[in-house]
Amino acid sequence: MSLGPGWRRAFRLPFTRPRTIERAVDDEFAFHLAMREETLRRQGMPPESARAAAVSRFGDPAAVRDECITIDQQYAREVRIMEWMESIWSDARYALRTMRRAPVFTAVAIVTLALGIGATSAMFSLVDGILLRPLPFPEPQRLFWFRQSYPEKGLADWTLSQENAAMYRDRATDFSAFAAFTSRGVTLGGERPERLTGELTTGQFFKVLGVSPMLGRAYTDEEDAPHKNSVAVLSYGFWQTHFGGDRRVLGHTIDIDGSPMTIIGVMPADFAFPRSDIQLWIPLGLDPSRRFGWFLSGIARLKPGVSVEHAHRQTAAIFREWARQAPGLLPPTTVPERTGLTTLITPLRERLTRDVERPLLILQAAVVLILLIAVANVATLQSSRAAFRSREIALRNVLGATSGRVARQLLTESISLALIGAALGGSIAALAVRAFTHSDAVSLPRVDEVGVDGRVFMFTLGVAVFAGLLFGLAPVLHTMGSRLSGDLAAGQRETSHRSIRRLNGALIIAQITLSVTLLISAGLVLKSFRRLLHTDLGFEPSGATAMSLPLPRQKYMNNSSAVPFMIAILDELRSIPDIRATALTSMVPFSGDVNSDGYLIEGHAPPSATGSETQVITMSVTPGYFHTMDIRLARGRDFTSADRAGTLPVTIVDEALARRYWPDGDAVGKRMRLTGDTTWLTIIGVAASVRDEDAAAEPRPHMYAPMAQAPWSRPLLVMRTAGDPAAALAATRRVIHRLEPDVPLDNVRPLSDYLGRALATRRLTEILLGSFAALAMTLAAVGIYGVMSLYVANRTREFGIRMAVGAEPRAVMRLVMREGTALAVAGIVIGVVGATFATRWLGSLLYDVSAHDPLVFVSLPLVLLAVAAASCYVPARRAATSDPLVALRAD
Amino acid sequence: MADTESDLLRSSLDLLILKALTWGPMHGYGISEWIEGATQAVLLLEEGTLYPALHRLERRGWITAEWGVSDNNRKAKFYKLSTAGRAQFRAQAPVWHKHASAIAFALRRTSADLA
Repeated sequence: MSLGPGWRRAFRLPFTRPRTIERAVDDEFAFHLAMREETLRRQGMPPESARAAAVSRFGDPAAVRDECITIDQQYAREVRIMEWMESIWSDARYALRTMRRAPVFTAVAIVTLALGIGATSAMFSLVDGILLRPLPFPEPQRLFWFRQSYPEKGLADWTLSQENAAMYRDRATDFSAFAAFTSRGVTLGGERPERLTGELTTGQFFKVLGVSPMLGRAYTDEEDAPHKNSVAVLSYGFWQTHFGGDRRVLGHTIDIDGSPMTIIGVMPADFAFPRSDIQLWIPLGLDPSRRFGWFLSGIARLKPGVSVEHAHRQTAAIFREWARQAPGLLPPTTVPERTGLTTLITPLRERLTRDVERPLLILQAAVVLILLIAVANVATLQSSRAAFRSREIALRNVLGATSGRVARQLLTESISLALIGAALGGSIAALAVRAFTHSDAVSLPRVDEVGVDGRVFMFTLGVAVFAGLLFGLAPVLHTMGSRLSGDLAAGQRETSHRSIRRLNGALIIAQITLSVTLLISAGLVLKSFRRLLHTDLGFEPSGATAMSLPLPRQKYMNNSSAVPFMIAILDELRSIPDIRATALTSMVPFSGDVNSDGYLIEGHAPPSATGSETQVITMSVTPGYFHTMDIRLARGRDFTSADRAGTLPVTIVDEALARRYWPDGDAVGKRMRLTGDTTWLTIIGVAASVRDEDAAAEPRPHMYAPMAQAPWSRPLLVMRTAGDPAAALAATRRVIHRLEPDVPLDNVRPLSDYLGRALATRRLTEILLGSFAALAMTLAAVGIYGVMSLYVANRTREFGIRMAVGAEPRAVMRLVMREGTALAVAGIVIGVVGATFATRWLGSLLYDVSAHDPLVFVSLPLVLLAVAAASCYVPARRAATSDPLVALRAD
Repeated sequence: MADTESDLLRSSLDLLILKALTWGPMHGYGISEWIEGATQAVLLLEEGTLYPALHRLERRGWITAEWGVSDNNRKAKFYKLSTAGRAQFRAQAPVWHKHASAIAFALRRTSADLA
């Protein structure tokens, strides 16, 4: 048996204490002086002068003494450091030897820790990159997001019109800069027209964010006026791909949507606002006289020293002033201050991450639970081993190692294990995060800022050391408990084993508690997601494909030219056999591009008076849209080619609207109009309600207008194809190219893709939480199995005696099973109680599922109980089949 | 000038200590007696200056120290050459010889010519 490093201490020279050093120097000098004095006396000098002569020959004893002490102290310090490093190294070497001697234990412990630490680090890198790290702009805490709110009208989150943007820009003096912006697909003209993702912004956009172009300049407020907006700032990526990073690009003119635009700047590579896919920024050409069209988002930079409250009061006052003058917005007698009408300013980071904050924190909490389960697992394994190692430790105590020294050795072992686990876990995390952030399925805000870097590394290291200390404590407490040499005497191990059993029992209960909590939370989220996927959306996403069909603005400015072109395209496409149905629409579900407007029903009071929701989602569609989307027409008829400009203005409403006004009767034949328009529209049909914004929310009312009567310059083509859409798409491209070579077919995506993106965060949460729960259950099962095996092994002697005196093997087996399941049941009961509290936190992640869903709360604990019982079974069988003779001989 | 002299003295003192210890372990007093006798009392004017040198050499690992009993039965600190110290002495002694004879030769010259 190897002694380990503890024994060395017994032979250490008592050299390092300051007092010892001084005394040694004094002794040395005294010897010298005494010898000199003696020699002088022997040479005949009188004793009284011999002493003085010896001192004077020595020189300045005080100075020399100081010098020697200083040297010795430095030396002692160096020795201490060397010894310390040497002992750490030898502890670590000893730890590695110990690990090699127990390869199964070591492998299980390292894999367990690697999973726990890896999951924690990976989650942390997401949380850090998305939630914790400041936005990549100077003084990001001064950036605020603007939205307007008019809850009485159902407009909780109202975007800005151009008039709104101009008024904040000019009058919100609490801010040093204000900008409004909106994303828009634009067409880059040329031999092969190409679709680009552009951002239309007002003049101070870059000033608000505090980022200047790396090349050239940003545009000014003067260039952000109608018909003056003919400049563009490129993204770094676009500059590289389209201009090869040529610095002479400034002054170059490109054709955007048929108008020439001069390139005046290139942004730095890491600038990605509002999203990383933006290829160029163009001045919006802000027209302050445009009251309607609420499509802009607003951001602003707060002046230093101004409070958020003051800025909020100022912006709200500006908005109310505007509302007072906006015709028809407020009923004549209503005072804006008495309504909920206000401008809300939210810190930009909060706004960007609001949808993912809760899921991320829940997932982070889940991995912390997993880490704790992993730590508990390794702790049970460690402390069970400590029982077996108690003789070795006692021997080291006898040989002079203090219990503190032994404790350090055990902790070094634990931390070495944890560090190896962390190295492995960190690599897993790095790979996982890389795969994750490069995956198309993930659409999280700021995900391009996520990565495994120094911060994550430090976090992982911290977690590893913390975990090592945590599970290292179990064996240390045990050795501290078992005093010197007691365990050297064989056969006295039972007592210490009992304390280990108690500790392990507590750890098992803790593990099962954590697993139950995690399993139930995951179960609820999973069930919600299943419900959500099976929600009736009102249309059928699968088998349908959507693509944008941007008509050149110049050519198809007016209705008379656009409509025949659209009809021609649809007619051609319908003759392609692979295309079962096709139509044009202004919006596809879950594209996030919703247009809504106020409305008025003939013969009914304006809806604002009732306080109920007063907005309707408006869409322009061609005949065949409902058929293509598989939206049921409940009453009336679809649009036909006869519904065109000049004929009776018609509309189709959905059941959400029809039910509100005509709960019993028929909406067909009734008339309604939009608040911004004076034309009465006759309802000719009622379509099924459609969920197209949030699958988890009640559908909002819709009204559809025929595209020939309500033209739309950026229509989307939807088609339902038979089988693989690739052939149909190729044919579509050919048709469109033949009819209009300037129109690029762009953004081709299956309809289910839009829905998938809208559900991406939920899906992500579901997948991760589900796998975390599975991981937790596996770890808990491993833990139960490990502890029960050790428990049985420790009691082999007792079982042998029982069976020798006539106990049935089955009785022994029952005993083991009973003890094991008792631990499991205790853990499950506490876990279920814990879960009822934990699941409250899930809140918005739950859809159509109670936070106390009985099925989840009953079935999952039962599953875990079954797993626990199975984990006990093998050790229990081993106990029952043990040979009494062998058992009795076992030490 | 004083610095140069003390540096010179220090390095020659270190070398002398190592030389003294090549005969075997010695205590500080013994070393001082040996140096005094071997250098006709030229180098070690103040015996105390020996001790910082000894402690410094110990710190550098060239000599090791141990407490023992002297001939006249007193407790004394004995110094012993370590392997590293022996190697150091073997390396330094020829260098010192070369330097010393070069300097002596130069100092004996009577003409500025280099021929």
